Amino acid sequence: MTPPLVFEGIPLARIRRRTRSSIDRASSEGDGLFSVEVAPHQTVVTLGDETSGVDSLGALAMGLELSPIGAARVYGTEIARLERRAQLAFRRKVGYLPAGEGLLQNLTLRDNVRLPLRFGSDFQSDEIEGRVDVILAQLRISRAADVRPAQANEEERRRAALGRALAFDPELVIMEQPFDGLTERVAAELLEIARGGETAEGGRRTVLVTGQDLPALLRARVDRLVRVVKGQAVAGGR
Amino acid sequence: MVIRPIAAIGRGTARWLARLGGLARFAFEALASLPSLPGAGRRVAGRVLLNQLRFTALDGVGLIVLLSGILSFLVISSLIRQLGRVGATDLIGELMVVVIVRNLGPILTALAVVSRSGTAITAELATNTVLGEVRALEGMGIDPFHYLVLPRLFGCILSTLTLSVLFDVVALFGGFLAAGSEGMSGARYLHIVLAKLITQDVVLTVLKSLVFGLIIGVLPSYQGLSVQSGPTEIPQAVIRGTVGSIVLVFIFSALFVVASS
Repeated sequence: MTPPLVFEGIPLARIRRRTRSSIDRASSEGDGLFSVEVAPHQTVVTLGDETSGVDSLGALAMGLELSPIGAARVYGTEIARLERRAQLAFRRKVGYLPAGEGLLQNLTLRDNVRLPLRFGSDFQSDEIEGRVDVILAQLRISRAADVRPAQANEEERRRAALGRALAFDPELVIMEQPFDGLTERVAAELLEIARGGETAEGGRRTVLVTGQDLPALLRARVDRLVRVVKGQAVAGGR
Repeated sequence: MVIRPIAAIGRGTARWLARLGGLARFAFEALASLPSLPGAGRRVAGRVLLNQLRFTALDGVGLIVLLSGILSFLVISSLIRQLGRVGATDLIGELMVVVIVRNLGPILTALAVVSRSGTAITAELATNTVLGEVRALEGMGIDPFHYLVLPRLFGCILSTLTLSVLFDVVALFGGFLAAGSEGMSGARYLHIVLAKLITQDVVLTVLKSLVFGLIIGVLPSYQGLSVQSGPTEIPQAVIRGTVGSIVLVFIFSALFVVASS
């Protein structure tokens, strides 16, 4: 079975420079190559400091950045190497919560959750509204749904961004620094919502979380903790 | 010693050409993305387009009427006064068509659209970029060209075209009022002006408006989405987008004059 997400031999610490010469320099400086496989229905957390390049993992998986060597594969596909239209279509299969949320400031929280469904699906309008209402209720932001991001608090914005990521009910969810600035209780709640309920087959969503730290309350809830040390993945315990 | 200035000129030229190439590529990619706009996305992009038309065309009507009305009134009343001294008032028809309808109309309309909407487009898209909204759109499988650029591009083209036509209509009416205030009969004024207005003038005005609209839709969007370092770059992007648009409008205006002569 194809694993949902695989990072293979990526020079993570130097990914931002993107040039062949910087890769050579990275190797000469002793930075290793990052490789991790995320198994189906697992929740994997990858942590690293701000210079580790861990914040590029989400963008690499989504094909928003391209590693000059190595590969980031989602269900066996390197999104970055797909043709443009196929790239956009593939991304709709993955839930992505970028760092800083990336909510559109001129739309309400409801419209932000609604946008991917209205733009990328053939659902009827009332079907979209029904789905959006369910997501907003599940994330407990129905009351704040009609305010714009600038008028909402950080927790509401994060909930809306997660709602938007889950709009297509994806099997794989990638979240960048999703718990920064949240209480442990809220962080735990959001992680549970991202993982989703058990399906008939007994599986939950596959989730990759990246960040610099993980609230203590969540450590028991993740299947695997990986740390990026000198560009390489090091098992960080359960 | 001699090499340095030449090298500096070369570097400057290369940078300028690279920017021009980037802009041309951006415009091509924007237009080439049109066929891949998904059916559902068309409805959403259509609403963004309507919003852009409201902001650029509808909200800009007052400014265009004011500019065109005052300009045509001043020009025609002055011309009638000056030309009347030498008995050549018949020339106002040709001057009205050549100066206002064919040249000043499209240019002033374009400048008004640049100052109102070009600046807003650059600032908005630069903010979208800095706040990570463009990246988030990509992550959702929404092409920023579809959601952000194309509605603004077509909004600017349609708005510049309609406002140019409005400018010319108001200019003719303003001239009519000016002629009346200077003692010329309205019928004579209309006869003189309409006799000089030929299809070629209308076609040229439409073509200019389309090209100017394209410039105002593309360059500010390009500058807005090119921001990389952070919020401090937004005002610089707005300046680059606005000044660049104005310069291109004048360059293309000159090219139109050369081509049509």
